[in-house]
Amino acid sequence: MKNKSKRFVSIGFYQRKLVFFSVIIALALIGFKYYQKPVFKADQLSSPLLSQSSRQNIAVEILPDGKLKIDGTESNKTIDFVNNELRLPVVDNPGKYMGKVVITLTLPDTVTGEVKPEILAVHGVGATNSYFKNSKTIIYEASDVSSTAIVTVIASLPKGSIKPETGTVILTSLSSIKATAWVIIGVSLPALTLLIMLFVLVYQFRRQRVDIPQKETSQPPMAIPPAVVGALLNQKVGSREIAATLVDLAQRGDIIILDRERGFAFGKGKFDQRLLTFEKLLLSKIFSEHLSSDRKEIEKRVNNHFYSKKMSLVTSGIYALATRLGYFKADPQKSLLKYRLIGILAFLLALAGFVASLVYFKDPQYIIFFWVGMMGASLVISFIASRLPIRTVIGQEVLSNWYAFKKYLTNPNEFPYSEYNQEIFQKYLPYAIVMNCESAWARRFARHNFVVPSWFLSEKVGLGLEDFCLSLFPIVSYVGRSLSAIREPGFE
Amino acid sequence: MGNFFNKILYGGGVIFDMCKWIILAVVLIILINKFWVSLFITDGASMEPNIHDKELVLLNVSKYSKAEPKRGDVVVVRYPGDPDNRKYVKRVIGLPGEKLEIKNGLVYINNKLLEEYYIALDVSTEPDKNVQLEPNKYYLMGDNRPFSNDSRYFGSVEKRFIVGQATTIIFPRFKSVPTLKY
Repeated sequence: MKNKSKRFVSIGFYQRKLVFFSVIIALALIGFKYYQKPVFKADQLSSPLLSQSSRQNIAVEILPDGKLKIDGTESNKTIDFVNNELRLPVVDNPGKYMGKVVITLTLPDTVTGEVKPEILAVHGVGATNSYFKNSKTIIYEASDVSSTAIVTVIASLPKGSIKPETGTVILTSLSSIKATAWVIIGVSLPALTLLIMLFVLVYQFRRQRVDIPQKETSQPPMAIPPAVVGALLNQKVGSREIAATLVDLAQRGDIIILDRERGFAFGKGKFDQRLLTFEKLLLSKIFSEHLSSDRKEIEKRVNNHFYSKKMSLVTSGIYALATRLGYFKADPQKSLLKYRLIGILAFLLALAGFVASLVYFKDPQYIIFFWVGMMGASLVISFIASRLPIRTVIGQEVLSNWYAFKKYLTNPNEFPYSEYNQEIFQKYLPYAIVMNCESAWARRFARHNFVVPSWFLSEKVGLGLEDFCLSLFPIVSYVGRSLSAIREPGFE
Repeated sequence: MGNFFNKILYGGGVIFDMCKWIILAVVLIILINKFWVSLFITDGASMEPNIHDKELVLLNVSKYSKAEPKRGDVVVVRYPGDPDNRKYVKRVIGLPGEKLEIKNGLVYINNKLLEEYYIALDVSTEPDKNVQLEPNKYYLMGDNRPFSNDSRYFGSVEKRFIVGQATTIIFPRFKSVPTLKY
């Protein structure tokens, strides 16, 4: 077991990612194989093989809805509705020589105007000819048709003489729309969505404006975990919330952070029973059964997963706590999920439309710009909707109080030195991290004789405040980013 | 039912999360391929000596969305007899409204000899033809005249069948496709 674990680290492969990327590579190879299809012929001449003589009669009938009947059997081929013409390769590499091929084309009664017949024959065909037998029947003839020949009958029909089914009429009408129109639709769809969403976002922000107080307060408005403060501030749980929780746990004595020459490690502290559920889950993600967990161990635990259920539960635990405290109208995660669902459904619909257009429309398929525009619009919805403010009045008031505390943390005046002030730096550091002002907070203590906190063990000697910050912040930031990146979709 | 729905939602979310950038990349490639530039492999020797069999060639698909094909351009054209399934590589020789004549192995446009430096010296153009091109129709021929199936056999071609201009040979050599200075 130990050897297996070592092998993973040295090779740097992780089973699930290996499986996923193997699937992606396999799909890419299939795609490449498909892409090899555009082999365009620098088409060469071939000569008729005059071996045996035979006569072939083929009957083609155009039905009133544009479908074709070949030798009495209904075919899945139709006329070209956009150009109102029949272009049908009747003989295509027959594999044997035919002395004469006679194709009888029967037109529907609905065709009353002028019809232009034409016959195209290549790769070894002698003479060709086409003529009207009567007003509804055209005869196409080709003689000395070789085994590799292609004989195509063409008939240009008067406009409106064929009455296709409703679905075909819609497809034909869409195909007839000009490229510029589709491009304009494709660009304006996400642009319009963006404008509407921005309007809604600005409107909601104005309605739920959080007052930034003039005065600062020197104490946190209430004793809540820093991660909940971050969730209230940003309406999302990210790497900062996890980093702040780690520092909070450290200064509460639950973990020890070890700064090493090469890497870092976390050590188990007192692991007190008063830990919140999300904190317990976070610790169980970092530590296995050992007393400490170093960088390699944490990286292995992170990289061996696409997604981590534990980290998702950490996030939802923080959201749930903030919602229970009355800061949000609804659980931000569920609210986000609703918009995410709308975005995903719109994206999948656009993708289905895109694929269907490639299959059912003939080149040039300008309609795909519409679907691309819809994909863009769906991404805009997903991106902006999750940022709509959903704080309650209580949430807005509490946040305002936290802004007053942030003013205190970022005050440019230095602290006078005292032992108590040294403790304050450590105590409020998690809040400073979560409110994105840890450097400003540290600067207030720049001239103090710094004493390294007992929860931070370093191999370096004579660590000052700046060295402490330069050692601690990258560690917690890295771990926070790594752990927040493996949350399941919908838990961001 | 709720649990099942949640599982579907979760699974869909996972797939969406993992695949959305791949899907967007593929969509982008398809858009570029259809409306800007594309690649194709030649099959056959009718464009010798300029494009060899099995060469990978860059195709400018957007070229003729606004501009008209010029004489000497090497184009990819849908075979008018089977436009959905067959595409050929040929050179534009005659333009709409022109009078094209093939006589004594040479090509004349509006009674003026067309100097075709891109075809081999010992190659002549057969059979004799005298064609008045209709508006919007182009006369296309392969550079390897004795071995090319082109407008001499299937007639002139409407612009709607021309897909784009073959501009550069990418592999196994890198060379721009010679056009005609006329």
